[in-house]
Amino acid sequence: MEAVLTRHLDAHAPLSLQAYQAAGGYHSLDAAFDHKPEEIIAIVEAANLRGRGGAGFSCGLKWRLRGADAPRPRYLVCNIDESEPGTFKDRHLLYGGPHQIIEAVIVSAYALQAEQVVIFVRGEYGKGGHGLKRAIEEAEKAGLVGSNIKGSGFNLQIKVHLSGGRYICGEETAMLNAIEGRRPNPRHKIPRPSVKGLWQHPTTINNVETLVNVPHILLNGADWFRALGINGGCGPKLFCVSGMVQHPGLFELPCGTPARELIFEHAGGLAAGRTLQGFIPGGASTAFLLPEHLDVPMDFDPVAKAGSRLGTAAIIVLDDTTCPVQATLNLMRFFARESCGFCTPCRDGLPYLAQILTAIADGEGRAEDLILMEELCNTIGPQSFCAFAPGAVMPLTSSLQCFRDHYESHIATGRCPFDAANKSGA
Amino acid sequence: MGTMHIDGHEIPFQENDNILKAALAANIEIPYFCYHAALGSLGACRLCAVEIAPEDPNKKPRVVMSCLEPAKDGINVSVSAAAARQVRQTVIEFLMVNHPHDCPVCDEGGECRLQDMTVACGPPYRRYRGRKRTFTNQYLGPLVHHEMNRCITCYRCTRFYQDYALGDDLGAMRLRNEVYFGRFQEGPLTSPFAGNVIEVCPTGVFTDAVFRQHFARVWDLETAPSICPHCSVGCNTLPGARDGTLRRVCNRFHPEINRWFICDRGRYGHQYSEHPDRPLTAQVSGVKVSYREALAAAAEQIKAARDRTGGLGSTREDLESNAILQTLLNKLSGRFATFSDPQLETATTAAVAALQSSGGAPSLSEIEQADAALVVGDLTTHAPMMDLALRQAYRTGAKLAILHSGPSLLTRFAATTLTVAPHEIGAHLLHLNEQAATASTTSNKHENEKKLADIATYLTTAQRPILIGVSETMAAPEITALAQLANALGSRARLAYALPGANAYGTALLTPTNSTTAMLEAIESGQIQTLIVMGNDPLGDTRLGARWREARQCLSTFIVSDCVATATAEAADILLPVAAWTERGGTFVNYEGRAQGFAPVFQRAEPLPNTAEVLADLAHCLELALPDAAAVLSNIFPGYQAPLPGTLGSSLSAFPLTMQTETPIGSAPLGHPGHWQVTLASWYGDDVLASYAPALVELAPPAAALIHPTAALKERIEDKEQVRLRGPAGTVVLSVQLNNDVAADTIALARVTLAQLGVGHGDLLELERIS
Repeated sequence: MEAVLTRHLDAHAPLSLQAYQAAGGYHSLDAAFDHKPEEIIAIVEAANLRGRGGAGFSCGLKWRLRGADAPRPRYLVCNIDESEPGTFKDRHLLYGGPHQIIEAVIVSAYALQAEQVVIFVRGEYGKGGHGLKRAIEEAEKAGLVGSNIKGSGFNLQIKVHLSGGRYICGEETAMLNAIEGRRPNPRHKIPRPSVKGLWQHPTTINNVETLVNVPHILLNGADWFRALGINGGCGPKLFCVSGMVQHPGLFELPCGTPARELIFEHAGGLAAGRTLQGFIPGGASTAFLLPEHLDVPMDFDPVAKAGSRLGTAAIIVLDDTTCPVQATLNLMRFFARESCGFCTPCRDGLPYLAQILTAIADGEGRAEDLILMEELCNTIGPQSFCAFAPGAVMPLTSSLQCFRDHYESHIATGRCPFDAANKSGA
Repeated sequence: MGTMHIDGHEIPFQENDNILKAALAANIEIPYFCYHAALGSLGACRLCAVEIAPEDPNKKPRVVMSCLEPAKDGINVSVSAAAARQVRQTVIEFLMVNHPHDCPVCDEGGECRLQDMTVACGPPYRRYRGRKRTFTNQYLGPLVHHEMNRCITCYRCTRFYQDYALGDDLGAMRLRNEVYFGRFQEGPLTSPFAGNVIEVCPTGVFTDAVFRQHFARVWDLETAPSICPHCSVGCNTLPGARDGTLRRVCNRFHPEINRWFICDRGRYGHQYSEHPDRPLTAQVSGVKVSYREALAAAAEQIKAARDRTGGLGSTREDLESNAILQTLLNKLSGRFATFSDPQLETATTAAVAALQSSGGAPSLSEIEQADAALVVGDLTTHAPMMDLALRQAYRTGAKLAILHSGPSLLTRFAATTLTVAPHEIGAHLLHLNEQAATASTTSNKHENEKKLADIATYLTTAQRPILIGVSETMAAPEITALAQLANALGSRARLAYALPGANAYGTALLTPTNSTTAMLEAIESGQIQTLIVMGNDPLGDTRLGARWREARQCLSTFIVSDCVATATAEAADILLPVAAWTERGGTFVNYEGRAQGFAPVFQRAEPLPNTAEVLADLAHCLELALPDAAAVLSNIFPGYQAPLPGTLGSSLSAFPLTMQTETPIGSAPLGHPGHWQVTLASWYGDDVLASYAPALVELAPPAAALIHPTAALKERIEDKEQVRLRGPAGTVVLSVQLNNDVAADTIALARVTLAQLGVGHGDLLELERIS
């Protein structure tokens, strides 16, 4: 597949406005303004563009459900608060080509008839955020952002909000609170943000990778987009592969590409003599998969069917020298650290799990700990306030299933077998 | 509106009710922490889990949080379902992971929701084996003690402090299991309602720092329904005492008045009754004597004086005592008055008269429903809970306007604040009357006129406008002008006044016309030789203290009964200490005209008589037949029945005033050149009784002369400069504090300074630079 989203990315020298326009950039604005907003939404819905932030909800449907008659002002929030461990796709989009993002939000805001866009950028992506701000200024000077864009009568303001820096800010309603200057606690989703979002006004929140597909769909059509995917997937997809592979990195490939191809072909496979123990398919908050799942197409439904989630399509690879207990503990420490502290199961339950996992990893686990962790996960996941904790317990519950023998041997022997193996190998 | 089923019971619910709210209203217990009737649902604690049976029998039942789940017709809810119990048990287990288990030394013991819920829903054993996270506590001032390790992160404290009471110096900080509720930096909490965090906190994070100094377990406390004596609102309280001393005061729910909260003056002002200087022993000519001896001495003097006896009642004395004193004086053919300042007398009686003809003042819960309000004066310091009610109105979008001469905490929430010198308040009210009548919109207005036009617009366009006057800082014509404005706005407008004293309304009903002036003149002319002062402090009066101190020299006998060591009590020939309000029963009539009974909470080791008993004993010594309080009151107010403590109270607003109230509206005299007008700069702990509460006094702002920067510039006065203020009673040197909320040509001064100078609100004053 020819690169679509990454074609003009260059993190060291992102294209200027002029160069980007020369390469075909911002052409989709003319195409957009030739359409009625609801026509664009219909095209995006027909393209089956599913949310790239992790949930995989149909972008066109989300836009349509907000309603063309939603009261003004309306907001579009573009989510670049990429903080999921193993995930670095949005960073490439941000640092490599800010104008592609601006073009995408203009076209999307036009489709939604939103007069204000807030682009929420992860705090640690400060340099990228500043690059984006400069690019917006360039676009404003060129009349691409502001009032009466290209004579269309459409007015748009774009603001960049650099995050104070917490994982939870990526949760869409916590993000709204963060933009409003409040604690980034998630909100109760009745009413939904599309009804009462930013400052109680209708707000649509999309991941940046989702949005950058929109100009291409508009220029090339829904059929073209659908045909780009394979194995039932639609469109191009950015995949991150990290962990115990030879060439970790970002790969733009057809949605539906199997994990086997990603790990062994594009990421260069494992080190010599190593075998695959398992992998996380979609960032830290998705369930582990095993070698038997290597041929599952990396698309939303097939991965869900295999018991995990496509999530951010960020594969983290564990080879046979990686202790899955340690890896799971590492993730659980991350989630316990990043809990916003709003609801009890997440705030106090995740550190509890991390404490038990630490005990097991340190050789101080008890036989009853595995059942205890499963019992706690069964409450923490479903009974938390937002989607953070269900995601946080997913790697643990799957790890307990996939690698139970390792947990049992830690508990039975009082030590980590991988430590001994790695030391003797060294 | 509909009916649902909870564990087989049919439970009715109202529109927009959630399951938890409807269940609690029907006395069905669902465990919860973060939900609070006043603060609403949050969904953070996850304790209120219930199971809902599916409509489709093929589906599984759902476990939901009852505080977030709307009540729906016909749904089947189970609190006792195993799945819901399991969730609640796990939530308690999580909450106890870091809890210090310090119940034996925790002040919350006996009224700890965490303890109750843990016993009710929690697991029997602890499974967590790790270390607990710990916090460092903060010093939050003399009122609230902080112990963060006990926190279960229900956010109730910040939801009350920030969201409900609109304070800004207590909040949630940090994240994960380290969320910290405190101040950005250590220091006293600044909200006048801070003490409520003690009651909203479901565990022992915030506890009563005053109670802590002399602590008792709550199950050992003697309690009885009481009424707050610290202002005219009449909040319902529940004082607690042990071993003959008062230990604390808590809120007691009254659906139309204070509901779940009280102000800090009401919570901590009670320290007056344990003040080391409190008079506990009777005195004659400065010598401690028995109560009987003092009584006999007083009777002897009164016998000699007969109709040359005067009696001064008080707005902080209960209805019974004032009525009996009046009756006693009638029997002696003596003279009766109730106020120490004629201006306060006319203002208060004018306010009560205005309320009676306006159809009665709104309750606090009605004030909360206002969509526009005009406040004349500094409401926070004279009736703090009225301020809190207005903050609720503000939260729902009401336009607040303030007309005042000095600083007020409410201005932060005001859409329009009009700051004018005290003498100009009346003219502005008259102007506002015209504006409201004509709804004129002339252009090219002076800034103040624009503000008046804005205020008129708020009031005339509102559905439920409310006008509130602070009667202590208003002259009678201003009181009447505000009432006329209410009248002009029509029946949708409501009128209220913050009155000077817990029983000001009741006392005003008994006050003869111009009684204060007549009393002073009678003393000064020698007509009155013996004066009985009951719970009043004329010698400490701000404006007339000096005149009263001179008048006192004309008296042959000065008899004082009180429970605090006022300047008047200290100058008494015969001092008869009486029971404090928590040590006796009685009745206060609040600003609405609502008579509320309070019960004796406890007895001191050496009990003191209450004022009514002192008067009865005195009458006995005088061989006068004095009917009891009930008879006296039903004689004055036909059909009167004493309201029982713990009930909602009964209205006295139908009974007419005894005095005439003809107060012509006219402009007050303007200031003289070279003189400054005085405005009272009060603060929320400022009342006679609370000034004997050390913890509150610690928070009093330091005395200073507050002047507007422009006025200071004109007179070349600099910030923090020392100036000499000269009043009729004396001279005071103070440092200047520039303050944008003070009117031009006006100096805002604390009550103690006013008393030293011998001036009252609106009086004139000379200022000299010291250089």
